[in-house]
Amino acid sequence: MNGTKRLEWREALRVFRERMGGLTDAKKSYLKSDRETRKAVREALRFGSKTIPELTQQLNLPGENVTWYVMALKRYGEIVEAGRAGDYFRYALKESER
Amino acid sequence: MADIKDRYDGLVIGGGIAGMQAALDLAGQGFHVLLVERQPSIGGIMVGLNKVFPTLDCSSCICTPRMAEVAHHERISLLTYTEVQKVEPLNPGFRVRLLKKPRYVVEADCIGCSLCELACDVYVRHEFDYRLGARRAIYIPHANAIPQVAVLDPEYCVFDGSCAKVCPKDCIDFAQLPEEHTVEAGTVIVTSGLQITPMNAKKEYGGDTYVNVMNPLAMERVQSSNGPYGHVLRPSDGKVPKSVAYVQCAGSRDASIGVPYCSRVCCMYALKQAIMIKHELHDTEITIYHMDIRAFGKGYEQFYRRAMAEGIRVVKAKVARISEVENRDLSLRVELIDEGGKVADIRHDLVVLSQGVIPGWHPGDVLPVPEARDGFFEVPELATKPARSPVEGIFLAGVATGPKDIPDAIVEAGAAAMEAAMYLGRTAVGQAAITGSGRRA
Repeated sequence: MNGTKRLEWREALRVFRERMGGLTDAKKSYLKSDRETRKAVREALRFGSKTIPELTQQLNLPGENVTWYVMALKRYGEIVEAGRAGDYFRYALKESER
Repeated sequence: MADIKDRYDGLVIGGGIAGMQAALDLAGQGFHVLLVERQPSIGGIMVGLNKVFPTLDCSSCICTPRMAEVAHHERISLLTYTEVQKVEPLNPGFRVRLLKKPRYVVEADCIGCSLCELACDVYVRHEFDYRLGARRAIYIPHANAIPQVAVLDPEYCVFDGSCAKVCPKDCIDFAQLPEEHTVEAGTVIVTSGLQITPMNAKKEYGGDTYVNVMNPLAMERVQSSNGPYGHVLRPSDGKVPKSVAYVQCAGSRDASIGVPYCSRVCCMYALKQAIMIKHELHDTEITIYHMDIRAFGKGYEQFYRRAMAEGIRVVKAKVARISEVENRDLSLRVELIDEGGKVADIRHDLVVLSQGVIPGWHPGDVLPVPEARDGFFEVPELATKPARSPVEGIFLAGVATGPKDIPDAIVEAGAAAMEAAMYLGRTAVGQAAITGSGRRA
């Protein structure tokens, strides 16, 4: 990206941010929760694989939210399946994410 | 994206399977067509399905080549992420006002590399996966999207410029604004598709309350290899379900929710999904609770019998209500018709509501075509001219006129394209198209 272009998009981004109302409190709150939950899931898996019920119990979050974050991190390559425990899959951090 | 011209022989509204077929069939006769789709990708509902019935062919394997054919056809121009604002008759022909929503990405430059998506640090529930999967605030709409162009969702953008910093083509454009286009078209084909009845249409089923009560299109994504889970799991805890129930007519044949008609596809998609679950999870029990199974199409009755032979339980019953019990399991209170009306409470891990089909678009005064009592577009001569609307020069295909399966939608799209071509042949604007460039010589 050349210098002129970089300045152009930075200025366009500033105007865009203003036009969209900036970072509202609702958006900040969503972002905080989103990032904290992802971090908590990663931390919980740092020392070994877990099922979603095990993660749910440890993180004290609604099961459907934990399922969603596990699947989201799996989709983006941070988490992998690590075998089965009865009716549940186990999930682990990808080696490179440890 | 192709440059948009001032006039086209035909304009097709809706880029699902019917719209794509209509565009291809009209363009195949030498006419220039503009295909307008409101989503960021063409493909409609079909590209998100797992398999088609009764052949169990891969749905996206059928749909994706057709999407590519549309995108590369020399006589089809494509406008995605675009809403139709007004269709005005010119007698002959139509003036159509369109509003292209900003992607904040330059379509012509984006190479679909996903680097912007991977750089964005905001995770969002993905609409394409019925909120069971994830995307980022800037994202490629889905793996098979055409065009493979990113779209930025300003609702979740944190304005840190991370996408622009990594874009190798410098094609993030925060200054983009909605673009208005006005085009003239000799004829219009409407293929505005479907929605399913809302999850809260029948309160007693808890579709908007219990996470393990799913809609059938979400189940299609769950069953898809590129779906949100990669396996059939239930949303509450990722459990491999041991017992799955389908509740038929959960949004059809029910005047109390304004859908008195049969949606025509629910019996078959439930049987198909049940077979696919059984193929993945051999030990899982699957029960379909129904009023009666309607398997009317070619090969459908055999498909129904195949499902039963593969161990799917098909039970004539009325489901009165669904309640959540321990472990987020679901208890169904059912009246078992074949057992003299005995009432039983039956527990399942996961429930799919076979919701009804309702119109995908209510254009109001945007389009001069009236709706019939059922909400779908009116077809005055259904028995003999099923693709003609009451407005001369506007043709209809697919679920725009009522619920139908994919083969019927494709056949009807072909009929609409043929009717549109004949109409162009009868009108001055069409004659100019035919003789003006010698395209049809």
